[in-house]
Amino acid sequence: MNALLPPLETIAALVKIGLLVGGLMTAAAYLVLLERWIAAWVQDRRGPNRVGIPLTKIRLFGLGQPLADGLKIILKEDFTPKHVDKVLYNAAPLLILAASLAIFAAIPFGSVLPPLNIPGLPDPVPFLVAPGLDVGVLWVFALSSIAVYGVLLGGWASNNKYGFLGGLRSSAQLLAYEIPLGLGLLGVVLAAGSLKLDVIMNAQAQSGIWYAFSQPLGFVVFMVASFAEAARLPFDLPEAEQELVGGYHTEYSGIRLLLFLVSEFLHMITASFLIVIMFLGGWHLWGLTGSGQEVSWAGAFIRCGVLSGKVLGVIVFFMLVRWSWPRFRFDQLMSLAWKVMLPLGIANLVAVATVEEFRPQLVEAIGQTWATLAAIAGPWALFFVSLITAGMLTPSGTDNRPIRTTRPLDGTRSHPTQSLAPHELAGTR
Amino acid sequence: MNPLSFFSAADPLSSVGLLLAAAVPAGAVSLWLLLPRGRKNRIAGWLGLALGGLSLAGFVATGRRLGGVGEEAVFLTVSLVAVVSAAATILTRSPVYCAIWFALSLAGVAGVLLVLGAQFLGVATIVVYAGAILVMFLFVLMLAQPTGMASYDRVSSEPLLSAVAGAVLLGLLTLAIGRLSAGPASAPTTDAPTDGALASDSLATDQVARLGAELFGRHLVAVEAVGTLLLVALIGAIAVVSRGEATAADADRARQRTAVP
Repeated sequence: MNALLPPLETIAALVKIGLLVGGLMTAAAYLVLLERWIAAWVQDRRGPNRVGIPLTKIRLFGLGQPLADGLKIILKEDFTPKHVDKVLYNAAPLLILAASLAIFAAIPFGSVLPPLNIPGLPDPVPFLVAPGLDVGVLWVFALSSIAVYGVLLGGWASNNKYGFLGGLRSSAQLLAYEIPLGLGLLGVVLAAGSLKLDVIMNAQAQSGIWYAFSQPLGFVVFMVASFAEAARLPFDLPEAEQELVGGYHTEYSGIRLLLFLVSEFLHMITASFLIVIMFLGGWHLWGLTGSGQEVSWAGAFIRCGVLSGKVLGVIVFFMLVRWSWPRFRFDQLMSLAWKVMLPLGIANLVAVATVEEFRPQLVEAIGQTWATLAAIAGPWALFFVSLITAGMLTPSGTDNRPIRTTRPLDGTRSHPTQSLAPHELAGTR
Repeated sequence: MNPLSFFSAADPLSSVGLLLAAAVPAGAVSLWLLLPRGRKNRIAGWLGLALGGLSLAGFVATGRRLGGVGEEAVFLTVSLVAVVSAAATILTRSPVYCAIWFALSLAGVAGVLLVLGAQFLGVATIVVYAGAILVMFLFVLMLAQPTGMASYDRVSSEPLLSAVAGAVLLGLLTLAIGRLSAGPASAPTTDAPTDGALASDSLATDQVARLGAELFGRHLVAVEAVGTLLLVALIGAIAVVSRGEATAADADRARQRTAVP
């Protein structure tokens, strides 16, 4: 091995990195605007619509807002409190941003370019920074677990109760939800037979059946777990403004706070990319993108557009959920992870393994079409059965009232006018 | 000059051999000087740092070259990160910093594995150790030690013995590995094609699939045994925890019994 990469491949990789980092940073800035617009729409108000082109009176629906926001937060005083652990306090935002950007080395943002026929560059050029990485999904997993350090250390180094509680909550939550995340992921990996995200997309394009259709249970488990991993509402306990002021970034201000906020958005983008790539077919759309490896220039960019459109759709879903669902209590969060999501994930994995194991016999017995239909119908039946079972076995999921086991201090009922639920009556005796 | 001629035993007193023989004790003395002993000693600290740097330079000089400049640079960087942060893990006083240095050391090891083409091992090191186990450690450390440092954090318990044992282990391992790699392919001309074949092999697209086939084919029994062991450990942990809870409830009941009359 003479060098790490031949020079042309290095240049191609650098171009892709530049495109990705530039695109992601801009996207993060404009997603903030989108989130504020959606929040305004949900709450029936106007939202940011004033800032347009600087120094003119052109408003442009408020499209200049991200620039103003960015300038404001960068130019703000970057205050370091006296009581913090300086080294870790400074390292935490850098660490979390680096980890959340490095994740994208393994995430494809399109299909492939048509053959360029440049000597020294292997054709076709994939829309992927590190095409040689055979462990794509695991890479994503590894770096998102590194990002936990940023939150945990930021919270601890702040030397502040709220920050520390945020950091602890975050680490407990991320550790717990990594397991259902991994289980949801394993089902897809098992069906596609590869850890590479581009191979997983190609497999869905080839068959035309996205994994969301053939593994609905895995889709739901993965989706819930990635909401938790991205710490979005209803899983935003690490920063819960009403309880913890701002959680792990309470003590941060100025550009270091910006780094934390940007990496939070990057986490959401990563989660959306993963959901789209693994369960919603990636760049594939029936009748529009084709399904093979041969593409024209237009086709290559249409595929990029389809993938980005789907990612944007998932992000909008993330933002709508934020304004339609109240935050969990921490015990509810944990029991959802361990008592509901974990068994559901295991059930999905077993179902996928069974289907993949007996698919050849099934095809032989009832033909290709019926076998495909059966491989879709079976998981859907399992989906409904397990959701109903989970709902019946954990009824506390539908009852949000705290279970009172002790009598109030003054010896009376706390709410005389309100009738108590049966289990509360049993508790108070 | 072939840097590995020392290990082929034909030329036991080559400059490389002498360098290595000096680097290992220098590393040991440096560690001994740097290990925490209650109060700080500035002179010992600087001396230890200098000796440690010399020792590392000695190891770098005796090492086998990998080939391209870029690869060499990346390899040296990640391995230095791994070694230096491993040393810092035992030299730091604050337990939280120890854990951070350990995580950095693991990241360095993962980097070495990635450079050498063992992608799965590299990434698995990060996922399992840095991502899960160490975060749990950090969690407990942060919960257990909100303020101050205990004496067992400030004073190293066996500085001399541990430094000597580490140096002996390091020397023996270097010797053994050097002998192994110098054994069959001692002629430097055969190195280039072997390295090329190795590289293309390790960058093969179905690397993980072949690793899986190997694990669940030839080593199936071992994998199952380890899995069973982990399951038993898990059940044991649950048993310990639930027994603790039962005694707490018992104590509660006993208190109630004494309180009622």
